[in-house]
Amino acid sequence: MKLLWFFISLSAIAMGAEYSVIVSKKAPFSTLSVQQIREIFLQKRHTIGDQKMIPVNLVGQDEVRFAFESAVLGMDRNRLNTYWIKQHFQGITPPITQPSVESIRAFIQNVEGSIGYIPSSMVDGGVKVVYEF
Amino acid sequence: MERGSMRARSAGILLTMGIAAYGDPYVLGQGLHVNDMVNIGGYFSSEFEAKGGEKSVTVDDVAVMAYGEINPMFSYLAELEAVGFYRKNIGNGDERGDQTFHVERFYGDMWLSDAYNIRFGKQLTPIGYWTREPINVLRDTSSNPLYSLLLFPKFLTGIDINGYIPSMEGTKYHLFGQNNSDFDDEYINIPNTHFFGLSIEREISSDFNGGGSIGEYITASNQRTRFLQANGKYDDSRWQVMGEALCAKSEYADRQDGYTLSGYLQGMYRYTPEHAVVGRFEHFNDHHSRYADTIGVVGYSYRPWYPVSIKGEYQWHSMNRENRALFSFSVLF
Repeated sequence: MKLLWFFISLSAIAMGAEYSVIVSKKAPFSTLSVQQIREIFLQKRHTIGDQKMIPVNLVGQDEVRFAFESAVLGMDRNRLNTYWIKQHFQGITPPITQPSVESIRAFIQNVEGSIGYIPSSMVDGGVKVVYEF
Repeated sequence: MERGSMRARSAGILLTMGIAAYGDPYVLGQGLHVNDMVNIGGYFSSEFEAKGGEKSVTVDDVAVMAYGEINPMFSYLAELEAVGFYRKNIGNGDERGDQTFHVERFYGDMWLSDAYNIRFGKQLTPIGYWTREPINVLRDTSSNPLYSLLLFPKFLTGIDINGYIPSMEGTKYHLFGQNNSDFDDEYINIPNTHFFGLSIEREISSDFNGGGSIGEYITASNQRTRFLQANGKYDDSRWQVMGEALCAKSEYADRQDGYTLSGYLQGMYRYTPEHAVVGRFEHFNDHHSRYADTIGVVGYSYRPWYPVSIKGEYQWHSMNRENRALFSFSVLF
């Protein structure tokens, strides 16, 4: 896992960040730490400042989602599945999903407080980048 | 709702309500998501035990649960469980069982901010690891350490104010209190009338976390106990090492004092996501009752899918008559 992180970090430095974590343009903050994003997507934390956050995952087995889980959440799919099964016992459900990166971008443009991830090449003026990986 | 125990019919109603409104596809281990207000799940475990010359088979836990968000501020969880559902002594053929369902958890959450959430009702005591993941299928050994059974009430019927401590990234607190009897006096390890404490937990990295607690409770037999507890866990995808320790001072109804010390260290190596070997070393010493035991456990865990758990273990006790082999099968729905 640590080796994978190392290579992902090296790639990001060498080629520029491949993916971006995005929020609505109206969000009252401009950057987030990995720890903050991780806590939001693991449903441990629900706000940034006074802003209630709505994490949005890409559905299924997409490489963008795998990259996010590995680089930002620091968990592989097995470990993440285990985490959500344990959370089910605690009465906590995983984030909502969207079927494509296009729909994630559209959702985030239109729903204040939502947060998701897309390829950096898809970032446009309708969303704000708060973290790159 | 009748206070205390409930019959199996209540559990059936809980399940039927959900299935009638079934919505999303079901995923084993993640419950039946009907809508944001209703998610339904359950679990069961069965166990085979060989101790001395005795062998027995038990269907130990059968439980159903429902939870959901009423609105962005309020959520709830309800769980009914029957313990010792069915037991058969293989040697003499004796059969017994108790199909009475008890209220395992029944609470609401009022979320005000990440720093201030109020949980009220019957809930798991927010101390350490074992107490908060008490069911067989979520554990990596069939047995519990004595630490989790004998030292403090595993349920709280009261209020837990909890949240992240502002300006301390990754650090959570729980300030909890109970000033009444348990919701179900028959269904708690230590019946008590008074229980309060403070628990702190810190996530140092995605692999490592730790915490500690301090608290006091008064049992139904008027024993006052104050305790100090600490826990730590390292968990990457392959290795897991966890430990908890507790020191308690009790004042008994006859005015005598006594100390109890207990702790365990458990290591697990997952050589595939499905297969793991587990070892645990535990020490327990209650100076007042003069009950002391040192326990070594070696076990094997096989999970064809994570919510399906097949485990076997052997326990060595310093009190030799307690040595035993355990095998269990459990599923989370």
